[in-house]
Amino acid sequence: MTRRLVLSLVAIVLLAGGTFTANLVAGNHPSLGLDLQGGASVTMTPVGEVDPAALSVAVDIIRQRVDSIGVAEPEIIRQGNTVVVNLPGVKDQQQALDTIGRTGAVEMRPVLKVAENPDNTTTTTVVGGTTTTVKGATTTTVKGATTTQKPASTTLPPPAGGVGSSRIAAVTTTTIPATTAPVDPLTGLPEGQTVLPGRKDGLLYLLGPAEATGEVFSNDSSAQVDAGGWVVVAKLRSGAGGADLWNALSTKCYAGGADCPTKAIAIILDGEVISAPTVQTPTFDNGSVQISGSFSQTEAKDLARVLQFGAVPVKFDTPTVQTVSASLGKDSLHAAVLSGLIGVLLVLLFLLFYYRLLAIVVVGGLSVSGLLLWSVISWLSKTNGLALTLSGAAGIIVSIGVTVDSYVVFFEKLKDDVQQGRTLRNSAARGFERAWRTILAADTVSLIGAVVLWWLTVGSVRGFAFFLGLSTMADMIVSYFFTRPAVLLLAKTKLFNRGRVLGVAKAKISEAVA
Amino acid sequence: MAGGMSRLFRGETTINFYGRRNVGFIASALLLVVTVGSLFSQGLNLGIDFKGGVAFEVPVAGTMSEAKAKEILVANKIKTDNVKIQTLTSGTTKRVRIQLGDLPVTTRTTIQESLAKSANATVNDVSVSTVSSTWGRNITTKAIKALLIFFLIVSLFIAWRFEWRMALSAIIAMVHDVGISVGVYSVFKLEVTPATVVAFLTILGFSLYDTIVVFDKVHDNNERFSGSKVSYGDIVNVSMNEVLMRSLNTSIAALLPVLSLLVLGSGVFGAIALREFALALLVGLATGAYSSIYIASPLLGILKERSDQHRPMRGHLSIGVDMAHLMHTGAPVGRRAAARAATDASQGIIPAPVAVEALLSHPPRPRKKSRR
Repeated sequence: MTRRLVLSLVAIVLLAGGTFTANLVAGNHPSLGLDLQGGASVTMTPVGEVDPAALSVAVDIIRQRVDSIGVAEPEIIRQGNTVVVNLPGVKDQQQALDTIGRTGAVEMRPVLKVAENPDNTTTTTVVGGTTTTVKGATTTTVKGATTTQKPASTTLPPPAGGVGSSRIAAVTTTTIPATTAPVDPLTGLPEGQTVLPGRKDGLLYLLGPAEATGEVFSNDSSAQVDAGGWVVVAKLRSGAGGADLWNALSTKCYAGGADCPTKAIAIILDGEVISAPTVQTPTFDNGSVQISGSFSQTEAKDLARVLQFGAVPVKFDTPTVQTVSASLGKDSLHAAVLSGLIGVLLVLLFLLFYYRLLAIVVVGGLSVSGLLLWSVISWLSKTNGLALTLSGAAGIIVSIGVTVDSYVVFFEKLKDDVQQGRTLRNSAARGFERAWRTILAADTVSLIGAVVLWWLTVGSVRGFAFFLGLSTMADMIVSYFFTRPAVLLLAKTKLFNRGRVLGVAKAKISEAVA
Repeated sequence: MAGGMSRLFRGETTINFYGRRNVGFIASALLLVVTVGSLFSQGLNLGIDFKGGVAFEVPVAGTMSEAKAKEILVANKIKTDNVKIQTLTSGTTKRVRIQLGDLPVTTRTTIQESLAKSANATVNDVSVSTVSSTWGRNITTKAIKALLIFFLIVSLFIAWRFEWRMALSAIIAMVHDVGISVGVYSVFKLEVTPATVVAFLTILGFSLYDTIVVFDKVHDNNERFSGSKVSYGDIVNVSMNEVLMRSLNTSIAALLPVLSLLVLGSGVFGAIALREFALALLVGLATGAYSSIYIASPLLGILKERSDQHRPMRGHLSIGVDMAHLMHTGAPVGRRAAARAATDASQGIIPAPVAVEALLSHPPRPRKKSRR
């Protein structure tokens, strides 16, 4: 028994120390939020007239991309029609642009050829052998023939037939320099063709020209379970910009002709092939498209979201980047950290006064959870753009006070027992068992809260939920793997069984009843 | 050391929380009425992150700087606590961006002119644009939806782990805490920022956590007293007194860092941004600790006293010495117990004389020789 306790204690201390050192060696450290250290400010101006609803979808896409797990706390402001994205801690302007990426313009292109993505081979060698001719012109005439005549320009012609056609027009004006040039001089590919990598499958796709955009679907694609597997169901918009466009493409691909030999349609976002489903029926008359495959739940949800995004895209001009200074500055952080540490010190003094020697365990436990949290935060700063704002830092300090509760619950149970005449050694294991049930019930509730809020919200609420979950988990881990063995082991020592260690002795009857 | 503090320290208090439940209910009801009244009459003072506002951009030239910009705002009688002043750098050109809440047109023009003057620029060089909220409507909608689902799941969890009456009481107490915290913000017209929302959520979590710990004790005691004729009010009272020290300790431990942030951080070190965040937490944590004892538990008592199991003993409370007896022995004293003893005596059953020692404490198990 003793050996297992020692083992658990050593293991958790090593884990905390190890992850801390590893992060220190790797140079990871918590990065600071916009208010404390500033960052990059990217201004994005939409091209042409914009539907406000579409713009807010675009803001959602950007938020999703910048802040996928909800801890980066970027500021996304709409200033008139422009969108300003402030990224914390980003000094490199190119990095800021890369993070934001392009908007979620989703394209559908017929797949001409699929190849392995060899790391060291250039894309031109892969596609060198293809002789497929592409009837690029046919697609452009389908929607808005007036706009194809114009070479690439920044001003967008007024939408000829609803939102859908204007989006297509934007694509074609930028990719077709002249009406009859058959070969793109840069890539050596026939006009309109392109080679794009798959997002995760490590394949390269040779694709025909974009024949439809995400706008053929309405904005309610969803991931569903069908026949035991995950599928994505998307509804087609009716009319020329929706079902007709999609059916034209699917009919062509179903036929498997020269312009779609693989019978597959690639769904592309930001220059990556998200999915390339093979077409099973020539037309989709009931207005609903089901994409199935060996999806995992995440993949299916991801694809559904991509389709939702694609349904209402906004085209932005080249964004401008500026660096932005901190709005509060380091003084505030120092003030918060200093006063926070003093606060924690006060808590420890209070516990020392109240629980005497047992407070050592609290100091140890808080150090272990502190190291663990620091490691996780540093690691996320590096990988997920986590940035601590002033209130975030203050929140973590406050959470320490709340974490102390687990110790209080445990120690109060110990005190009860000691008062009833048990020895500390005798009551430690029993006391922990009872306290653990309480801690588990209360922490489970906190965890439920964290998961629900994280799952369903965005922005700073999501960041809050993340940290709540993190600190609750740390609390449970430390309670079980550190506090329990530490107290159980200490309770066996002579020191802790001498006199009034907890500040209480067996109750005197006269006092108890009086 | 036989004073009140000492008894508190040893968990020997016998405070009749349940009997005085109306004190807490009335106090809370008054506060909630004030909250609702204030919300209707003056609403909440939403910050720029919720409402949007105005953004000025001035080129950095002449005497222009972040500090100068602040001066100009102060000169125009604008509170600068929640104004965001930042420097934008792009290549070699620098601009100061000032974001603040909505302004009357005249003030806006005055500020624009003052800014232009100190930057040695024309008024047209100072751009003024309206900015949207960073905290859009859909973030609020999503958060509220998430919160409702959270309430639902937590209720189900508590109902499963404990019982539905506890779930109901806990949720009511939680709503009460947030209500009062919001009320404080409304009454004192404090500016609501995203940090405030996070603080409110922290309060919610803390309040719930605290309530669960208290209910866990009630749950234990309910089992402990299940064999004896004890009213639920007594169980609540005993539990409250037993967890009182733990509740106080936890609250002190949670409040100390917050107080330190408030007094030292924003007062002594001058980080004003911390003030309102710390204030929201302070109010909320205090309310959370209060409501577990004065709202959640009495509510639970009221609900339970009406249940079949506890109805016969409803309204009967052991107070003072009787409560201490109950806490230590797990058996009630008082008229009913005495009556029972009398019946026993009339039937010829004479209880063996019991040593006070044995009555008052659970006898310790004899120490075993230490095993190695």
